[in-house]
Amino acid sequence: MKRRYRLIALGVLWAVLVAGGPRVLRAQDQSQQQDQQQSDKDQKEKKKKKGGFFSGLKAVTGQSSEQQEDTATAGTKGVGEGAQIGNATPSSADRQAVSAMESYSIPPPDLKKFQEDGRLQPVK
Amino acid sequence: MKRTNLLRRGLSVAQILAVLAALGAGTVARGQFGDLLRKAKEKTDKAQKIQKALAPMTVQEERDVGREVAAKLVAHFRPYKDDGLTRYVNLVGATVGAQSERQDIGYHFAVLDSDTINAFSAPGGYIFITRGALQLCEDESELAGVLAHEVGHVAGKHVIHIVEHDKALRAGMDEAKAYTPGSAYLQKMTQGILVKIIDQGLAPGDEFDADQRGIKYTHAAGYPADGLPRFLTKLDQATEQGGQSFWTRTHPPVKDRNQKMQQSISAQHWEDADRPKLANRFAIVAKTLKGKKS
Repeated sequence: MKRRYRLIALGVLWAVLVAGGPRVLRAQDQSQQQDQQQSDKDQKEKKKKKGGFFSGLKAVTGQSSEQQEDTATAGTKGVGEGAQIGNATPSSADRQAVSAMESYSIPPPDLKKFQEDGRLQPVK
Repeated sequence: MKRTNLLRRGLSVAQILAVLAALGAGTVARGQFGDLLRKAKEKTDKAQKIQKALAPMTVQEERDVGREVAAKLVAHFRPYKDDGLTRYVNLVGATVGAQSERQDIGYHFAVLDSDTINAFSAPGGYIFITRGALQLCEDESELAGVLAHEVGHVAGKHVIHIVEHDKALRAGMDEAKAYTPGSAYLQKMTQGILVKIIDQGLAPGDEFDADQRGIKYTHAAGYPADGLPRFLTKLDQATEQGGQSFWTRTHPPVKDRNQKMQQSISAQHWEDADRPKLANRFAIVAKTLKGKKS
């Protein structure tokens, strides 16, 4: 009889652990997910309000920078020149031109002769 | 006997209930503790991101950003291919660039094939002058003044300071490969920089600062200090007659700029009429530009 009660009690314990534990954890997960969703929503709204450095894009073009990225290839009609240049996609030739610009160097004796020919007397 | 059994039975049930309660409380506590740990980690990550966002840009980061801006300018305007002129602009640029307080980067100069009267500087020392601006110059000292003004923007880190103070912009900086040429991050940042420098203009204080640095470098290089004010006077007239330039559209009025520069030149006793303007040398190199139109 005593053993029977203990078995029943153990059964109840097992049932509670199986059914109740995951429910508690699931409820917490749901609550965390809701918190996360709310936090994401808040951040998006904050971003919209602030605009940061790129709020300028909106002022010039009437578009946010996110929208601009989406429509970067959709033409530049009505967009400021800076925004148009910003939308340009440099080719490998353009990048090579910049590399050539970086590696272009004037030998110091040539620079010295150029300054002497011009009667320039630099401080340094 | 029956009573004892009941008591024993009762105790057993009480013990089981106590175990149950402890287990339940443990499960909830475990969940709450995990939640606390997650929130603490989120706060630490956020603090690290803010710290990184507020840190000054490294020279390498500045160069990577400048290189991307330069590539976009080249892609839009196309480079002007004239080896003699490129060499000449680099010689003048190197002469004034050597006078800059900032020597942790190199200054690189190129000519863009555009009728518009403009000059640009990108972070990292990339400096461009358009064919139209060169055509407006009358002598080497004016060219030196224009280039020195752009060197002044780089030396004063005017664009870099805007980027550094924008937390939202720098929030993505820890992303892997953020500075790879053509990356989405660089694309977004360089778009913002180009809109700022070309469509909106820098703060008037930054322009005045670049002017002051410009006359200082030009004078220290051995040219007359007033090359830039002379160029600006002609620019003002040219734009009144329909010349295209973002300088007059986004910069403070030429009158104010020239007034401030002349005040400094007088205060420093930099009026030196004997200094070489080098109009002949300029004319020889720039003759290839005559009648050029894109």
